[in-house]
Amino acid sequence: MSRRYVISVMSKDIPGIIADITTVIYDLGGDLADLNQSVLGGYFTMILRAEFDGSVTKEELLTRFAEIQSETPIAALIKEVNDVFSKSCGSLPEDTFVVTAQAENRKGLVKCLGDFFYNRKLNVLDLVTTSEKNRYIMIFQVDLSRVDSMKDFRSELGVLGEREEIELVLQHNDIFMATNEVGTALETIIGD
Amino acid sequence: MLRSDQIMATVEMVQKENLDVRTVTMGINLLDCRFGSVKKTCEMVEEKIARFAGSFVEKCDEIAVKYGIPVINKRISVTPAALVGAGFSRNDFVGLAKSLDRAAEQAGVDILGGFTAQVEKGITVTDKAFIESIPKALAETTRLCASINVGSSNKGINMDAVAMIGKTIKDLAQATADSGGFGAAKFVVFCNQPGDNPFMAGAIHGIEEAEVVLNVGVSGPGVIARSLKKTIAKKGRENLKLDDIAEEIKQITFRVTRCGELIGRQVSKVLGVEFGVVDLSLAPTPKIGDSVGEILQILGVDDVGAPGSTAIVALLNDAVKKGGIFASKAVGGLSGAFIPVMEDAILAEAVGKGALTIEKLEALTCVCSVGLDMVPIPGDVDATTISAIIADEMAIGMINNKTTAARLIPVPGKKAGEIVNFGGLFGKSPIMKVRNVNKSERFIAWGGRIPAPIHSFKN
Repeated sequence: MSRRYVISVMSKDIPGIIADITTVIYDLGGDLADLNQSVLGGYFTMILRAEFDGSVTKEELLTRFAEIQSETPIAALIKEVNDVFSKSCGSLPEDTFVVTAQAENRKGLVKCLGDFFYNRKLNVLDLVTTSEKNRYIMIFQVDLSRVDSMKDFRSELGVLGEREEIELVLQHNDIFMATNEVGTALETIIGD
Repeated sequence: MLRSDQIMATVEMVQKENLDVRTVTMGINLLDCRFGSVKKTCEMVEEKIARFAGSFVEKCDEIAVKYGIPVINKRISVTPAALVGAGFSRNDFVGLAKSLDRAAEQAGVDILGGFTAQVEKGITVTDKAFIESIPKALAETTRLCASINVGSSNKGINMDAVAMIGKTIKDLAQATADSGGFGAAKFVVFCNQPGDNPFMAGAIHGIEEAEVVLNVGVSGPGVIARSLKKTIAKKGRENLKLDDIAEEIKQITFRVTRCGELIGRQVSKVLGVEFGVVDLSLAPTPKIGDSVGEILQILGVDDVGAPGSTAIVALLNDAVKKGGIFASKAVGGLSGAFIPVMEDAILAEAVGKGALTIEKLEALTCVCSVGLDMVPIPGDVDATTISAIIADEMAIGMINNKTTAARLIPVPGKKAGEIVNFGGLFGKSPIMKVRNVNKSERFIAWGGRIPAPIHSFKN
């Protein structure tokens, strides 16, 4: 019987980290599924899904990651899962929207939007933030399939933007796909 | 998720550059509405339009709200009325016009096109009755647009029709004299009229089309103008050449077209109607910042009409086609850059300064779509001169295998230089001077046909 793990690792960003981590997985006979990595403020972080033989334990994986010779130790977090692998991770929900939010930089901006979505039980699929001069920009990818009325939702977002002095724009994810993905046919984007 | 810079670029296009979908036009075939009596035919026409377009506006608005892209105009085009009303008298056609007007009102659209005849080779008894009905039909309706195709590259130009149309335009302007001859702004004369054009006043649902289709007109010139300004400011004028400008226009047009087609296809899907084409035309509005003329100024002529204007329009038109055709699965309609004088504030301003003349407009129409569009002329210009101007414009289309059109408005009681203002999307402009009036009567009196041109030895 196999074991499935979600593994999260973090380290200072130096050349060779991906090679080190995937070598551990390969040496233990792991089959790598999805992988996502990012670098922020000079720190490298990666989350991946992999499937191993039943004999490979969480402790063994942690030991092997700890043995990697690196300028800073690699911090790893591992969770054994059974349900994640059955879910499709490739395609986005049909009602995926992008909310861009721009405001003068101050504390609590991400929380403000996070609370707004949470209060409406809306799932944030992805979030990227950046700051430019004193301007803070947040890009939320959100699943709005629970929203009954787009008109009302736009109006609520408008009220929030006005109250918190945040410039908010809501567009369907397909608009960004259509205008930026040269090689993707519209039928693929809209699912015809 | 896409890169954040790509996302922000698109957001900027929507928010600051006013990206929109200019028009979604539903084309409806009405040939099966022809019944024994005029009354029954008119009832069937109204019923069929209501059946297919009943929820058209509502669904367009829903999709626009969902996607966050405004759909500015929702319109309907129908099978040329002269075919639907075969055998009708002049008064019968006026009745049909009123039915179409009511159907448009019930569907909630501001304009319905297709009060049309196609007479490029010959005029039937019905066509004659139809043409005679135009002044009254347009004077007594508010949402109806009419058009007539008098020439094609395959059949030549029907000069009998051209002669009749000069007089029709005069009568139409006179019948609507209390509104400055506004009726003539709802009537356009074509050579090579396309059957899938979503833009008014010349939209029709061609007989080659499916039962019901949706055609889309993409966003206006404002998006391109603002994007060019931004690029020039960012990269510096000294670091750009015209081929860089053409490349930039192509890329913007690609995005604009994809956006238009996305919205159009979604409306089609919701309504269960076949998607037709994307028309790539840059259609200006009188609103400041939504002008083709502004693009010409950005690209280097101080006034539209100055030497260089034709070359710029050629570059613009070609780049728009290249970007749009790559972006879309089905391109059609007129697909180019419109230069409607009254509907473009910068063009109207150039007329006021004397920089833009009818002769220069005619030259511009050789390299763009569509033709002498929304051109106000003095009310005392005679019918034969109007017919001769139309003949010149049709000849450009016929020889160059392209669509050309003329929408001339002889403004009753007004002279060159005076202002005519129709308001809204129809705009305002100083009236253009027409030179050499009353000098073409003998030419128009010939009648007959200008034969179709040879299709080889192109020089």
